[in-house]
Amino acid sequence: MITLAVFALFGVLALAAAVLVIVQRNVMHSVLYLAFTVLATAGVFFTLQAEYLGAIQILVYGGGIVVLYIFVIIIVNLKEIVPERRKLIPKLFLVAVPVLLGAEVVTLVLRTGFPVAAACDEGTRFKEMAEMLLASYMAPFELASVLLLAVLIGAIIVARRKHIDDPD
Amino acid sequence: MIPIEAVVGLGLLIFTVGLAGVLVRKNLVVMLMSLELLLNGVNIILAGLGRHLKSPRGSIFALFVIIIAVSEAAVGFALVLAYFRHKKSYDTDVLSDLKG
Repeated sequence: MITLAVFALFGVLALAAAVLVIVQRNVMHSVLYLAFTVLATAGVFFTLQAEYLGAIQILVYGGGIVVLYIFVIIIVNLKEIVPERRKLIPKLFLVAVPVLLGAEVVTLVLRTGFPVAAACDEGTRFKEMAEMLLASYMAPFELASVLLLAVLIGAIIVARRKHIDDPD
Repeated sequence: MIPIEAVVGLGLLIFTVGLAGVLVRKNLVVMLMSLELLLNGVNIILAGLGRHLKSPRGSIFALFVIIIAVSEAAVGFALVLAYFRHKKSYDTDVLSDLKG
């Protein structure tokens, strides 16, 4: 019961902050609400007994990605507010598409229902997760490390200045 | 005990908000943030289903999604920086020109 209450609290917080992320005009405010969303999502992970995911979420998202966003906004000095010149009707249409998509999936989920599983009772603790990650999912795990290395090199090459004496 | 429908609903709502952000906003940085929201919603669903099915696979898949999200953010920001250096703007309307 308490778990459900905590889940509802963090869920509502995450959802409200997510809405605020996309309606803010100032980008820096958006980033701060994104940090709020990420931390509330970590709380949701903790209530779902995915402690490892919650910790990774706080470390990687809260500590890495959000700080990266803030640095990029500072580096490029994002003072200008991009004018959102879309008319009202296209805007409403573009909001309606994801809303209808979400409503459709919710309807389908509620109609079909989920299987009461326990067919694959493999445990959800750290130990089972680590064993499965380093046994069954060894190849994707190693590929992920190669991907991260490629991203590191690629990001440096794309973002660097072409000439050292280039003023910007 | 958290009902699985509530978890899937929450993840789906956050996904919907992110999708609306990607479609409606014109600021490149806010669009990248909306992509993070999309991936967050998917991660909530994966974690909830992993707990529902009593399997660690949900957490493992969500872990891989986080790795991909980090890669996407890094490359996306590199592209935004290169683009800003070129055009001095973040507006996606300016981005639609093919001619540099």
